[in-house]
Amino acid sequence: MPILLPILLALACAPLAYVAGRWRPGAAAWMGAAGALAAMGALVHEWATQGPTRLVVPWAPSWGLSLEFTRDGLSGLYAAMALGVGALVVLYSRAYMPHHLHEEGRPARDEVRFQGLLLAFMAAMVLLVTVDDLLLLFVALDLTTIISYLLIGFDREDPESRAAALLSLVLTGATSVVFFAGAMALGLHYGTFSLPLVIERAAHDPASTGALVCLAVGALGKSAQVPFHFWLPRAMAAPTPVSSYLHSAAMVAAGVFLLQRLYPLFAPATDVRDGLLAIGFLSMGMGSLMALVEDPFKRVLAYSTIAQYGYALVLVALGSDGAPLYVAVHAPCKAALFLTAGAVTQVTGKKKLSEVGGLRHALPVLAGASAVAAAGLSALPLTAGFFKDEVFFHALAQRGPAFMAAGLVGAGLTLAYTLRLWWGLFGGPRRDVPAAPRLLVAPVVVLAGLILLGGVLPGLLVAPARAAGAAMLGAPSTLELAYHLDARAENLLAVGAWGLGALLFATHRAWASALSRVLTGVSHVGPERAYRLLLLQLDRLSTWLHEKEVRDLRDRVASVLVPTGLLGLTVLGVTPLRDRFKVGTVGWADITLVMALAFASAAALATLRAKGHLRLVLLISCVGFSLAMVFAFAAAPDVALTSVLVETTFTLLFAGLLALLPSERLKRAQEEAQKPRGRDRLAAGVAGASAFLLSWSALSHLQADRVGARTVELAKAAHSPNVVAAVLTDFRGLDTVGEMTVVVAALLGVTSLLGLNLGRKGRR
Amino acid sequence: MRSFVPPLSRLLLWPSLMIALAFWMKGGASVGGGFPAGALAGLAVLLQYVVAGRDQTRRYVAVRYAAPLAGVGLLLVVGTAFLPVLAGYAPMSLFPRPDQPELGVGGLHLHTALVFEGGLMLIVFGLVVTVIDRFALRTGTDAEEESGP
Repeated sequence: MPILLPILLALACAPLAYVAGRWRPGAAAWMGAAGALAAMGALVHEWATQGPTRLVVPWAPSWGLSLEFTRDGLSGLYAAMALGVGALVVLYSRAYMPHHLHEEGRPARDEVRFQGLLLAFMAAMVLLVTVDDLLLLFVALDLTTIISYLLIGFDREDPESRAAALLSLVLTGATSVVFFAGAMALGLHYGTFSLPLVIERAAHDPASTGALVCLAVGALGKSAQVPFHFWLPRAMAAPTPVSSYLHSAAMVAAGVFLLQRLYPLFAPATDVRDGLLAIGFLSMGMGSLMALVEDPFKRVLAYSTIAQYGYALVLVALGSDGAPLYVAVHAPCKAALFLTAGAVTQVTGKKKLSEVGGLRHALPVLAGASAVAAAGLSALPLTAGFFKDEVFFHALAQRGPAFMAAGLVGAGLTLAYTLRLWWGLFGGPRRDVPAAPRLLVAPVVVLAGLILLGGVLPGLLVAPARAAGAAMLGAPSTLELAYHLDARAENLLAVGAWGLGALLFATHRAWASALSRVLTGVSHVGPERAYRLLLLQLDRLSTWLHEKEVRDLRDRVASVLVPTGLLGLTVLGVTPLRDRFKVGTVGWADITLVMALAFASAAALATLRAKGHLRLVLLISCVGFSLAMVFAFAAAPDVALTSVLVETTFTLLFAGLLALLPSERLKRAQEEAQKPRGRDRLAAGVAGASAFLLSWSALSHLQADRVGARTVELAKAAHSPNVVAAVLTDFRGLDTVGEMTVVVAALLGVTSLLGLNLGRKGRR
Repeated sequence: MRSFVPPLSRLLLWPSLMIALAFWMKGGASVGGGFPAGALAGLAVLLQYVVAGRDQTRRYVAVRYAAPLAGVGLLLVVGTAFLPVLAGYAPMSLFPRPDQPELGVGGLHLHTALVFEGGLMLIVFGLVVTVIDRFALRTGTDAEEESGP
């Protein structure tokens, strides 16, 4: 069970931080960070001493369900990323949130809630990367969706923030449902939800393209790739620590992680991978261009995230074992840049590149550390980022010159927008601002240190990157990370990209406004517009239906009965009609039955002409009692007893209800009901005809002993000689559970409705 | 007429409840079951409301806590249905299993279906009594409002 220790520690962080926060709000962050670091320590220790392993906890074996966890290269790398960046972000928000809450005019104790949510998100992410079962994968994925909704909408008084949270929930939630459909298709096809088994069986029998596309849509929505990219820049309405975490180590990484985890399924499907490749390049280009022209610096970073995950997607689609390394190196760089942006916003109060600048004199440490992070993001040597582009170019070089050119342009654009961002924040004429709190700068320095360490000693990166790559491919990885001073393609491409980036940055004033205009024009016809139109139309449709339905009670009843009746008639229409309607014979032995049925029919007909609601209730109960009589004659005393009791109870309750209603209103309703409209007759005709014909058809096909004898036999075996009881409690027991749940729901409804009316009366 | 109806109806309560319990216990073997048992018990309480009034009837504990009783019933029903899943059985597995010997004393058969039926009984009883109680509450305040200033 030691594999569970890091997971349990991660899960414990949020409750522990909450308890600590009750004691003293400031303690929540420290507690949470300590928990995250402890989980990371346990993870690294176990990884070093025990290596990869799996754990299967049987849960419902008769349904083939079990809880499966894995510790392999992928889960180790991503969990370490989520825990490490999580700990730093939590510490950072200890310094960031009090100021932010003060600006928003909210109480300081909301900080504890924020820390708890952030830590819960971290736990969900750790869960996501360690489970090894398609169903649990979906559960963890939805956990991250829900918690990210709460985090993005944390400033709940801000309408923009709420709208952004809802947009991200709708988009990532809807795509994760598509993912679920794919997972179900795979699980049913291969007869198991256990991921290793699915992958093993898929080796002989490749998964269908439809299922793979479903899985890919879920992953692309999560990773904010084209055409689902537009939720990510809007999510910038969240507090900066949230953006920092979501973009680097968590939410957006989850999508690419899914593709890496499921890569062995995608490996044989070259057409799906080609589609992913195209989407990856598209996201890369679109994100980079938008990042070049955006003004608010958080949005620059958001578009950069879309572009960078486009790279990662390209790597996955090419089947490169460098994909996990790419994401893992991107995480500290992007986290550090976001944390820098947050610190700058807090110190200056500004959010746009055009409003800040020249901060390198006032914030030298922050400027230096973020310069390292920016260098890492744009893959300059002596940073770990250099190797992420090396694996990228290496994978492209194997596919030919067109791919190499696309990669060159992408990397050049990355350098250009990163330079623009850093220079926009720190370059230019001197500006004096107060010093930033130390806790805002320290996490950036730690991340920058890590980026430098990885760049100077690339040997440290090789083992985890190879383990993750091997877990992704399902085959040993031969990834090599080292500096080579020769004219190989990777080096030439890197130098070319730096040159292109520098050129673009030097000349960007000349073309930036034209590009901005073009992109704004393009965005008017983009997927975001389609999404809004779709929502608008759905909203209109539901309003229209609602208005039709609620106009009055008769319309509401008709809206249920008429579609049901039409469905029944359609069923009768499309099935063969031969021998469908038989007329049976009636003998003297049936005389009692016929009498009871005649009584029931007479009562039913009398309801058409009845005056007064009480009389209606009594007539309807007459129908019920005659049917109970039918059951009694037909040797079903059980059903007869139940019908009599139920009929009695409901008649009395109905009478009690009528006594409660104001009499003048009852009279008015009665008068209205006595003048039926044409469409009421039509609706009643359709529903009645359908019910009549369906019953007749069903009764024409009764075969006396089709199930009866078998049921009686089984009832004895189930120790319930009473067949009705056996059916209710055993054979159809789950149905009974469902019905009883409905009864309890009705009970709650009665309690609250009548209580509510009483309250209103009391106020009047 | 008025003189003997209230005491008689009060006398009827306990026998009705006994019959309801009997319905429940013998439901698996012959006519009866949890559903009619709950309805019968509810009707017995309804009679008390009609004759003795709300305040008198609410002196019975089972009447005051009818809605929570329905909750207990739902727990019993869901528990019987899904507890076997934890032990690896299909949902709604009843014990003793079909191939196992029956436990029983005389005409009484012990079976987990009895727990299930007991849950049904409590739910139906809870629904009926709660609805009656709410109705009685409403009519009671109506009368007070009309007689008030």
